[in-house]
Amino acid sequence: MKVFWLQRLTCCGNTHSFLNYESLNTLLKRVELIYHPSLSQKPQEEAVEELLRRGEEFDILLVEGAVRRDDRETLELCRLAGYVVAVGNCAVYGNIPALANANVCGLGYRFKEKGGLLGEGFRSKGGLPVINLSGCPAHPEWIAGTLLMLSEGIKPRLDQWGRPEEFYSSLTHWGCTRNEYFEWKVEAQELGSKRGCLFYHFGCRGPLSYSSCNTILWNGVNSKTRAGTSCFGCTEYDFPRTGLWETKQYAGIPAELPIGVSKRGYIMLSGVAKMFTPERLKGEA
Amino acid sequence: MRLENLELPRVEGEARLELLWKDGVVEDARVCITSIRGVEKVLMGRHYMDALVITPRVCGICGHAHLMASVTAIEKALGVEPAQKGQLVRRITQSLEILQNHIKWFYLFLMPDFVLLEKSVREFYEPFRGRRWQDAIKVASKIAKGIALFSGQWPHSSYAVPGGITSEPSAKEVTTLRQILSELRDFFLKYTVGMEEGEFISCLREGSWRRLGGDAGLFLELSHREGLLEAGRSYDRFISGGSLYFPCGYFMKRVVHGKLRVEQLQELESSSYSGAKPVRYRGMPFETGPLSRQLIAGNPITKSMHRELRDSFAVRVMARVLEVWSLTEAIEEWTQRLKEVLHERSTSLGRFPSKFSGRGYGVVEAARGTLIHSVSVKEGTVQEYSIITPSQWNLGPRCENFLGVAERAILGLKSPLHAQMVLRSFDLCSVCTTH
Ligand code: SF4
Ligand code: SF4
Repeated sequence: MKVFWLQRLTCCGNTHSFLNYESLNTLLKRVELIYHPSLSQKPQEEAVEELLRRGEEFDILLVEGAVRRDDRETLELCRLAGYVVAVGNCAVYGNIPALANANVCGLGYRFKEKGGLLGEGFRSKGGLPVINLSGCPAHPEWIAGTLLMLSEGIKPRLDQWGRPEEFYSSLTHWGCTRNEYFEWKVEAQELGSKRGCLFYHFGCRGPLSYSSCNTILWNGVNSKTRAGTSCFGCTEYDFPRTGLWETKQYAGIPAELPIGVSKRGYIMLSGVAKMFTPERLKGEA
Repeated sequence: MRLENLELPRVEGEARLELLWKDGVVEDARVCITSIRGVEKVLMGRHYMDALVITPRVCGICGHAHLMASVTAIEKALGVEPAQKGQLVRRITQSLEILQNHIKWFYLFLMPDFVLLEKSVREFYEPFRGRRWQDAIKVASKIAKGIALFSGQWPHSSYAVPGGITSEPSAKEVTTLRQILSELRDFFLKYTVGMEEGEFISCLREGSWRRLGGDAGLFLELSHREGLLEAGRSYDRFISGGSLYFPCGYFMKRVVHGKLRVEQLQELESSSYSGAKPVRYRGMPFETGPLSRQLIAGNPITKSMHRELRDSFAVRVMARVLEVWSLTEAIEEWTQRLKEVLHERSTSLGRFPSKFSGRGYGVVEAARGTLIHSVSVKEGTVQEYSIITPSQWNLGPRCENFLGVAERAILGLKSPLHAQMVLRSFDLCSVCTTH
């Protein structure tokens, strides 16, 4: 498997996330990274030109960073590649660079608008749409996992946003160590504590974001919510929303409820939960 | 006269170097950095807390430093002092970020240039395959794990908040961190300087840099062979914001001056060829980064190298390498202090105020040097946000009176590869230069 890593408008965060992959050296033996701009010895422009001049097909194009709408080179590379993988929220939806510039987008989207650089009907040589690994940055296991699947001939099943279901079918909320506090509606009253759920007062998007951060831990050891920081929903098209640390409420009820929960159900359940909260969960939450 | 235009490999982001040659020598150099992403613009009109999530995204390699600068600026604006425990933990993770940067930079970014000059070092430093290249990635990711223990993840965590931190670390995190630090020490002693601890300490004390072995020794030998020990000098003026293992100050005319006055700092308009804006202190260009820090902290090896070779390529590189040890020592010390305050609260301000008005700035040290954020908030909303990055000092363009620091360091060199290497000795980063 020949893999070409391309960088566009990026902070290089996905590259450094990827370098944290625990078995990187073994992975590099199984898939061949033919080019990476931060690591290889040639400048990127030269490497891209060479590849395009030879018109040689290769297996996987990874794109990190948002793209300009008139980026012909990226477009041509996408046509040559067996599979195209957008790594990180910028390459998927445009993210921060797109907020600052109307001419910038992701490969398949500009925020939730379909199209992006490649147009709606894009299929790579291998017959898949862009494989989107959203996240700011994407988790190393999601990147390595996708490369490994493709190299073993497994075509990942994609969700409605083109993301591998393997990594994006559960919520950040799953596996969060604060889940019991959520269930019993014990809300963190302040930051800096292991106790209490961050949903009510601190804008936690855990119940509204598809990501496996709490089941496939970051750096093998932790996650935002475990470290007391709210999930900011960095795998979704609307990252970064405004007011990231606050939960909008109407009449004391969060303006947005966990995916799939009705307002009535939420009010009833939280009333009951609050009434019967086990003593051990109360206290200095 | 001949003009040469080089696109540079292994840069964080994109950068170009324009060289004007005359009689086989670089007569003029321009460092061109483009691709602006506009992070400051995105912050306007947002809630001030959003800055803690957005500014780390300026840079995927020193995002933590941005977080620290951002939170410090906000704390100043709020008039809040962070809790001791929070402050210690922040310093630890910030230093760990610098450590992983230095390791990656030396082994993944710098040494591969020597592979182009010397076939024999290929087995060590060739990208993807080199033995040490692979070991270095492993150690660097261990260090990143150390950050994540406290911050939730690396890169891009937002665990520093006004008053302290969001996590509540326990003895477990501290002991795991100490494990990681001792692995790093072993790596540094065995490979980077190639000697036993006692021997290294005596080298350090005596400032005898010629005795260093390992990859550092090899680096010095290769630099000597290439004439890079003395090449790559710039203004020999240094500046540093302090905040880690040494005080703030500047170094000029061979003397360390304490105290840095932010009022004497100026950001000028960017020039025609670079997106970066030059910064000047008292009207002059200064170099920032590990060499500044090591000179101000008085590291004996750095001092004696600098006495002999001034601010050359090799001295700049070695300062970064030696800082790995200085930082590891400092972290050990903070860890001891952290043990004593583990039971205390993580923040002095559990709930941040939704609305307030004020302005403040934060000066911190990132891997590449002094980083400054300043913010003005009205009724909880960001009115102004501005960032001065380390690379603006080092890689920024010329002004009316002076060439940029790196530009000046390249003058007089005789090969394009040397020019690139000297530029790289500043730990080239374009993503944060133009943010
Ligand atoms: S902190 Fe967030 S992810 Fe964790 S339980 Fe609460 S809502 Fe869910
Ligand atoms: S916890 Fe949320 S914000 Fe953090 S990395 Fe995961 S999806 Fe992104």
